[in-house]
Amino acid sequence: MEALTGWWDDYAWGSLVVAKVFLTSIGLMVLFGLIGAGAKLSNIRIAQKLAGAYTVIFRGTPEILVILLLYFGSAIALTSITQMFDPEVKFVDVPPFWAGTFAIAIIVGSYATETFRGAFLGVSPGSIEAARALGMSPLQTFIYIRIPEMWRIALPPFGNHMLSLIKDTALISIIGLNETLFVAKQAIATTNKPFTMYIFVGLIYLAFSSAITLSVMGLEKFGKRTTEGAR
Amino acid sequence: MSASDADPLIQMQNVDKFFGDFQALKNINLEVHRGERIVVCGPSGSGKSTMIRCINRLEEHSAGRIIIDGNELTDKVKDIDAVRREVGMVFQSFNLFPHMTIAKNLMIAQQLVRKTPKGQAREIAMHYLERVKIPEQADKYPIQLSGGQQQRVAIARALCMQPEIMLFDEPTSALDPEMISEVLDVMIDLANDGMTMIVVTHEMGFARSVADRVIFMDAGEIVEEAKPEEFFDNPVHERTKLFLSQILAH
Ligand SMILES: Nc1ncnc2c1ncn2[C@@H]1O[C@H](COP(=O)(O)OP(=O)(O)O)[C@@H](O)[C@H]1O
Ligand SMILES: [Mg+2]
Repeated sequence: MEALTGWWDDYAWGSLVVAKVFLTSIGLMVLFGLIGAGAKLSNIRIAQKLAGAYTVIFRGTPEILVILLLYFGSAIALTSITQMFDPEVKFVDVPPFWAGTFAIAIIVGSYATETFRGAFLGVSPGSIEAARALGMSPLQTFIYIRIPEMWRIALPPFGNHMLSLIKDTALISIIGLNETLFVAKQAIATTNKPFTMYIFVGLIYLAFSSAITLSVMGLEKFGKRTTEGAR
Repeated sequence: MSASDADPLIQMQNVDKFFGDFQALKNINLEVHRGERIVVCGPSGSGKSTMIRCINRLEEHSAGRIIIDGNELTDKVKDIDAVRREVGMVFQSFNLFPHMTIAKNLMIAQQLVRKTPKGQAREIAMHYLERVKIPEQADKYPIQLSGGQQQRVAIARALCMQPEIMLFDEPTSALDPEMISEVLDVMIDLANDGMTMIVVTHEMGFARSVADRVIFMDAGEIVEEAKPEEFFDNPVHERTKLFLSQILAH
C-alpha cells in the first residue's frame, strides 16, 4: 500500500477526469440515443436507414477501434481544414477528452437507440388513447403520459448503458487522457508495482459503478411505487 | 355556427370506414339528441367500437359526415380538440394513467386542456370521485384499486371535463361479475341526470331499463334500431333474433 504514497492526488485528479467524461458522455449518449430512436420510429425511409446503419456499425465494431479512429480521424480532418486557411500549420491536436467522450457516447448511444425505441413502443396504447380522448394535444400526451411511462421501461437497460460508459472511460487512456488507468501506468513506471496499482484502479471503478447501480435501484424503487402497490 | 337544442347533438350521415381494403363501417346513419341514451350491441367485430371511436375521432371516417354539436369532424386539428373536449370516453380496459395518483388522473386533463388552476381542478376531481363513491381512494395509484373501482375512476375522469356526451365502449366487459353492478349503478345515475350517452354493452338489463333506443350492428351495418321493449320483445330482423337468442342464453 505504501507504494501508493505520493500518487493519491494523481488518482484523485484521474477520478475527477473519469467523472467529467462520464457525466458529459451521458448527456451526449442520451442525445444520440434519442435521435437514433426518433429516426427509427419516424416514417422517413432515409432516416430509418441511417439509424439502422448507425446501430449496426457501432454495435459491431470494437470500442477501442472507434476511439482511435475518431481521435486520429478528427485530428486529420481538422488539420486539413486548418491548412486550407493557414498552410504553415503542421498538425492540429484534438483534445483526447472530447474525442474520447464523443466516441464512447456514440458507441453506447447506439445501444440506447434500441432501448429508447423499445420503451416508446412499450407504452400501453390505452393510456395514449385516453389522453387523446380527453383532448390532450399530441405534445402534452408525449410529455405527461408517454415520457413518464417510457422512463420506467427504459431504466433497467439505461442503468447498463451507464455502467458501459463508466467502464469505457478507461479505454480513453489509450489516446492519452489522464484518467486513473493512465495515472496507474505512470505510477507503475516509477514504483514497479503493477498489481497494487491496477487493483487500486479497479477499486476506483467499483466505487463509481456501485454508486451508479445504487442510484438506478433507488430510481427503480421510486418508479415502482406506482405499479406494485408498495407505498 | 352554434346548434340549437332541437338539432341533434350527434349526426352521422352515410359514414363509411375502411381499414385498408376492409370495410368496418357501411353507410352508418345515426342521430342522437340531447339527453338521449343509446345502447349499441352486436357480435364481436361488427364495428361497434369503430363507430363510437369515429365520434371522437380516435378513428377517422373514410366517407360521409359526422357533426357533433354543430361542428363537423374534418382534418382541422382545432375542430377535433374542440369536439374531444365535449365528448367523454370510457374504455373497456379503463386506461388510467398508471404513474399518476387517482386524483392526478382526474386533474391532469383539466389543468392541461381546460387550463383549470390546480386547486380548483382538485376540487372538481374530488366532487366526481364522491359522485362515483370512492373519494377515499384519491391518493392511491390505479394498480391498488379493483377493476370496478378503476372503471368508476375512469368515468369520473371523463366527467371532470364536463362533457356534453359520454361514450362507453363495453365498460363492464373486463370486470369480474361481482363488480359489474357498481359500474352500472354509476352509469344509471348519470343517465338519470340527463347525460347524453352512447353505450356499447351486452348488459341487456341495463339496455332495457335505461336506453331510449337500442341499436343492433352486424358486419359494419346498423341492422336494427328500436325502443328497448320492441327490440327485445319483437325484433324484426333474423340476425337480431339470432344474436338475442345467443346473448340471452347465457
Ligand atoms: N385499427 C384497425 N385496423 C384494421 N382493422 C381493424 C382495426 N380496428 C378494427 N378493425 C376491424 O374492424 C372490425 C370492427 O372492429 P370493432 O369496431 O372493434 O368491432 P366491435 O367493437 O364491434 O367488436 C373488425 O373486423 C376489426 O378486426
Ligand atoms: Mg369493441
